[in-house]
Amino acid sequence: MKAGLLKLAMIVIGLNLFFVYIGLYFLPQSESRPRKVTKIEEGISQEELIQAGEKIVFGKGECMVCHPMQAEAGMRAPAMASIGMEIQKEARERGITPEEHAFEALVNPSKYVVKGFEDIMDPVNGPPTSLTEGEIVAMVAYLQSKGGKVTVSYPGSLPILKKEIAMTRKK
Amino acid sequence: MAEASVRGGIFKGLIKITVILGAGFILLFLLKKMLPVPTEDGYRFFPLIGSRVWIWVIAQLHLNFAAFVLGVPIFAVAMEFLGWRRSDERLDRIAYDFTKLFTLAYTLTAVMGSVFLVSLPLLYPKFIGHMMKILGPTWWLYIIVIYGEVFVCYYYFYSWGRMKDKKGIHVGIGVLLNIMGILLLLITSAWVGFMTTPGGVNEAGELVSRWRAIHTHMWIPLSLHRFVANVVFGAGIAAAYSAFRFMTARTEEEKSYYDWMGYTSAIISIGASLLLPGVGYLLGVEIYSFNEQMGIQLMGGFFAWLWVMQAILIGAILFFINYYLWISLHKMPGGERYFGYVKFLFIVLLLGYAVWLTPHSMALSLEEARRTGAYHPVLGKLGIMASKNTAVIISYLVTFLSFAIFRMSNKEPTVPWAKKGQTIRIFILVASTIAILALGVYSYLVSSGVRVKVLSPIQFGIFFLSVVGLYLLDHFMYKGARIIGEPQWGKMPERSQYALIAITVTFTWLMGMLGYMRAGARQNWHIYGIMENTSPDAYLPAHGVASIIITIVTLLFFLLIAFIFWSTMKLEKMVGEKR
Repeated sequence: MKAGLLKLAMIVIGLNLFFVYIGLYFLPQSESRPRKVTKIEEGISQEELIQAGEKIVFGKGECMVCHPMQAEAGMRAPAMASIGMEIQKEARERGITPEEHAFEALVNPSKYVVKGFEDIMDPVNGPPTSLTEGEIVAMVAYLQSKGGKVTVSYPGSLPILKKEIAMTRKK
Repeated sequence: MAEASVRGGIFKGLIKITVILGAGFILLFLLKKMLPVPTEDGYRFFPLIGSRVWIWVIAQLHLNFAAFVLGVPIFAVAMEFLGWRRSDERLDRIAYDFTKLFTLAYTLTAVMGSVFLVSLPLLYPKFIGHMMKILGPTWWLYIIVIYGEVFVCYYYFYSWGRMKDKKGIHVGIGVLLNIMGILLLLITSAWVGFMTTPGGVNEAGELVSRWRAIHTHMWIPLSLHRFVANVVFGAGIAAAYSAFRFMTARTEEEKSYYDWMGYTSAIISIGASLLLPGVGYLLGVEIYSFNEQMGIQLMGGFFAWLWVMQAILIGAILFFINYYLWISLHKMPGGERYFGYVKFLFIVLLLGYAVWLTPHSMALSLEEARRTGAYHPVLGKLGIMASKNTAVIISYLVTFLSFAIFRMSNKEPTVPWAKKGQTIRIFILVASTIAILALGVYSYLVSSGVRVKVLSPIQFGIFFLSVVGLYLLDHFMYKGARIIGEPQWGKMPERSQYALIAITVTFTWLMGMLGYMRAGARQNWHIYGIMENTSPDAYLPAHGVASIIITIVTLLFFLLIAFIFWSTMKLEKMVGEKR
């Protein structure tokens, strides 16, 4: 009887050790930490703004969770590769500036949803993403750089962003 | 035990829960006075291991015990009902044995719950203060229902012998016990639901509607998922108990009884687990509809590799149960006729497992995969839902076949249409397999929305229909069948019992991992999007660290469960000696 129970105990311990072994040696080991705020300094160059924006798009902004880089079948959100060009085109169609269109898409994404996609995006200035105004400007710079003309600057574009945020709140 | 006074038993139970809860409250009061004031952002720190790990271990242990004491009564009352209607004393005995187990487990569950309830307000006072503001009244309801549950549980247990001639009423009490259990589950799921998919509050987190704070996106699907998982887990624990008793049995009669009990429990556990993908799907749909970003992060972000781990675990469970059923053929006179099929079932199961285990990408995260385009040209195609769903369903179909073969292996149909019946059986199997595979291939060609919302449910639907069809066909075809010989319960090698224990250990580990993932979906938020976690623990640890903690919880749980099993045997011995 004792030998049988010992064997059962060995099964319990052995299986647990096996699972923890897989967890430790077969699964990738990295932590997921809250993203830090990217500080955007006044007078930042356009090149630096685009670089900061890229870091946010691939990091804190979590854009790549839904947006693929290249267009693919069944994608949930528009592809990044030519998004700057799309922003210009859609802004022209709507009769607004590309800056206004891009800021609106980020802080009030439900207002204009690209045809063929669902309204699934949260405003990036609210939780859980909670991007700062500087980060949003940088993000737009990166998005515009993907096939379009970069028109935003920091802090030059802040009044337009603030206007968009104010319109969202009023609503 | 059941001969003891019913009133005395209930009184003992109520005193016990009052002492445990009272001790908790006194401890909370004293520790609040003794410990340093919390930090500015509302935290105290648990020494050495940190607050998060402490809460994680205690919460998961409590959850495991709660699943046990809520899951086993469902199983017990169902057995009692069947035993009563079929006048089968063996079923009544199994029901009573389980009632003994969960009644004993109540004390440990309450102790764990009390430690949990003391730890939370001490370590996270600001967060718990906010939760009380939003859902405070449900906490008091929880205490009332706990008392109701203890009262009914002890009444159910202590009145077993005395009400043996009033089985209908006794079964009714068992049903009431389960209603109490479901109420507890609904209340606790409301808390978790609010933390993960909050509703009923404004942007500042202030209460707007308490009902909407309770009735969040996650509430009902999470409760449903937990309910089914509790049945699976409860029956799994019962199977582990049977294995324990089988290994310690001194007589052939005992061996035979516990062998049968182990088989019945394991089949209920695996049978109920067939519903889990369906209710899990509902839960997933609600998470996506609350916040697409959270859904994608959970399914394909940081946790992507833990879904591969889930495949390893569920695949292992399927292997264990199939192995158990294949060994069981040895105790069935006539079972040897089916030995030849086992290797084919094994190969299909192995292929399904291989597909299920294939990761979509070797990249660490979805972001990394998208940035680098790191999909393998061939294996990457196997690592997506289209192929994985197909592989899982085929593996489940194999498991059902193993079960059906075992059940029918000692019988020969005598109905005149038996040959036609066999042809229909082969047709159902082949047609459903082809349909499931074809839908799997077609899934590659459609958008993710169509795949998830239309094709996957159809695949599962075909599987369920074929299982029901095969079950009904066998039921009618084997009515009045010639019995080659009765099953020789107890004539099982010891390794069959290792398989039973392995199922429960794996399922407990799986529960621990999925519980962590569900909590981790909130990332660095106590209440998603409403109250941020600003403590040093506000991050998700590496998968290895998480695996260590899940393992510690599983080992602790089995240590405590072994103690309950041992106590049950000790009590039985004491009662036997008294008599």
